[in-house]
Amino acid sequence: MQIIDRQKVNEQINDLKKKYGDDRSALMPILQDLQEIYEYLPNVVMQETAHALGIHPVEVEGVASFYSFFRTKEKQGKYVIRLCRTISCDLAGKSNVARQLENELGVKFGETTKDGKFTLEYTNCLGMCDQGPALMINDRLFAKVDPEKASQIIADCRRDFLKSDFPKVVPSDVKKAGPILDHGLKPAEALKKALGMSRSDIINTIRESGLKGRGGAGFPTAVKWQLAGAAKGKNKYVVCNADEGEPGTFKDRMLLYEHTDILLDGMTIGAYAIGASKGFIYLRGEYLYMKKYLEEALKNRRSENLLGKNILGKDGFNFNIQIRMGAGAYVCGEETALIESLEGYRGEPRNRPPFPVDTGFQGNPTIVNNVETFIDAALIISKGAEWFNEHGTEKSKGMKIFSISGDCRHPGIYEFPFGIKVSELLKEVGGEDAKAVQIGGASGHCISRKDFNRTIAFEDIGSGGSIIVFGPDTDMLQVARNFLEFFVEESCGQCTPCRDGNPKLLEGVEMLENGRCSVAYLNELKKLGETIQNASKCGLGQSSPNAFLSIVDNFKPEILGRVPEAE
Amino acid sequence: MAKILIVDDDKDFVSAVSLVLKSNGFDVAIANSRQEGMEKFDEDNPDLVLLDVMMDEPDDGFVMAQSLKKKVKDIPILMLTSIGQVTGMDFDKDSEMVPVDDFEQKPIMPNILLEKINQLLGK
Repeated sequence: MQIIDRQKVNEQINDLKKKYGDDRSALMPILQDLQEIYEYLPNVVMQETAHALGIHPVEVEGVASFYSFFRTKEKQGKYVIRLCRTISCDLAGKSNVARQLENELGVKFGETTKDGKFTLEYTNCLGMCDQGPALMINDRLFAKVDPEKASQIIADCRRDFLKSDFPKVVPSDVKKAGPILDHGLKPAEALKKALGMSRSDIINTIRESGLKGRGGAGFPTAVKWQLAGAAKGKNKYVVCNADEGEPGTFKDRMLLYEHTDILLDGMTIGAYAIGASKGFIYLRGEYLYMKKYLEEALKNRRSENLLGKNILGKDGFNFNIQIRMGAGAYVCGEETALIESLEGYRGEPRNRPPFPVDTGFQGNPTIVNNVETFIDAALIISKGAEWFNEHGTEKSKGMKIFSISGDCRHPGIYEFPFGIKVSELLKEVGGEDAKAVQIGGASGHCISRKDFNRTIAFEDIGSGGSIIVFGPDTDMLQVARNFLEFFVEESCGQCTPCRDGNPKLLEGVEMLENGRCSVAYLNELKKLGETIQNASKCGLGQSSPNAFLSIVDNFKPEILGRVPEAE
Repeated sequence: MAKILIVDDDKDFVSAVSLVLKSNGFDVAIANSRQEGMEKFDEDNPDLVLLDVMMDEPDDGFVMAQSLKKKVKDIPILMLTSIGQVTGMDFDKDSEMVPVDDFEQKPIMPNILLEKINQLLGK
């Protein structure tokens, strides 16, 4: 048993308080650093953290037990292996890799080897859907892993020698670039132009462009910025939602790495427009390997006066950005859950209203935008609203970056205009023989061939950019199972329809698999799905049954009347 | 007599307010959206604008106030809204983002409304 020196813990916490602050919002980063030191969060560490921040120890344990990247029960292994179990990695052969990892280590998923060297876990979406199966060992990513490679990686770890074909930040596969990705803009070019404009002119330019949030919900960016700009409040905040957790989405990983300066320009322009002086990048825990790189970029910008006080000589415009790490909770992609997490609470979505534009981070006006939205905003300011809205449809302006994975010949990142037909998109990616396409990730809709002439746009089928192609041999019931398992795991548990409804739907999938589901019961499950959509509190709950319902509607003959293999 | 442009998508509110204004001798023009409001402003050349916030878009009133002040710098704007009660949002006058001359919560008593209007018209 490990003996922990309480005094030493306190010294460490005091140092961390100096680094992250001494209010509740410092809780997550402090716990993350302490876990790094102790390899898990022993009770004494959580208790001392609670005392240091003036909160009850139960509060700290509540937070630590909410996020899957925190360990409170036992020490994690020296190497924590997290295998992605999202549908794209599943289609690419995740099960064989999982079996081989168990064989090599002699433990099951969720367990740690007796020598304390390896912890084996599943994780949801590492953002490597076009290069699956993917796994992560500590902060290192491995893509296109097969059973043989898995065995080799384990052998390398045993020799404490992590050999990898990939650099720390795995390159992204951009298959088709357009005006957004080929912007040709120099760092700070857009920001310099913005600082010569009035705040209202910046927002009006964004309004004229018709830019809608690229995270998936499609809320007009200018409205968000205008309301936050008009809201009363001395301290306003800009938050970049880099919690790219939607299964099948990996475009933000590329944007964060390859277009960092344009993103930071976009955030700084947003801060100037609404009058904010502080910003956060909420980076998902799975992208930890990118943190150092982003910190370096922020440091460079501070030294060039692109962040800090009186930015580029603009009197009174002070703005700085901090990176905050998520800890493995999909629900934190929902903006109010993200704010709760930033404040050091469990990532449980808030009731709305009030909205973050007025009552966001610590009760202050806050804008939360997706990575791609900030990049688009910076480009619009630099190149003009017309440059942006000459593409797209009446209600969905501009180009969109898509993450395309699954059964197609050319998975990767594509830039297409909004309004593209699903059939056109499939032709481009080499997925013409697809049986179904999941649009918008796990929370999106699964459409069959009869709908391939529909368009991807907010007025038809909206999407944050995740497209998963299912080939002719895909078992659609397995797809439904994968998505429901994901939601059962990721529901924050706060409201009943989502917490209790999704396990019931998953149970229904098991009955269908065993050929024991009547049409009458299936209809009851559909009604339950609709209740979850209507009665859940946040976007996660409301959209959680979408995939199940669309698979039941589109593939009924395939999923009914199954005969189990054993019979 | 002074002409007042009411821009609000709540038709009941518009009819009640126009009744009060007309019976107190004001000329009244009415618009139910930001776009219509801008057109009426050009056509009717009002002396004061009564402006709602949330119309087709939640920020239409703010956007319109900015456009009006760009056109006619000293046009008095009285912003009337229930946005605080509906959304919990808290806004105030701000020369750049909320360039209005006064800000009142709905519902408003007729005598207070008339008092504010007269005050803004310099009477």
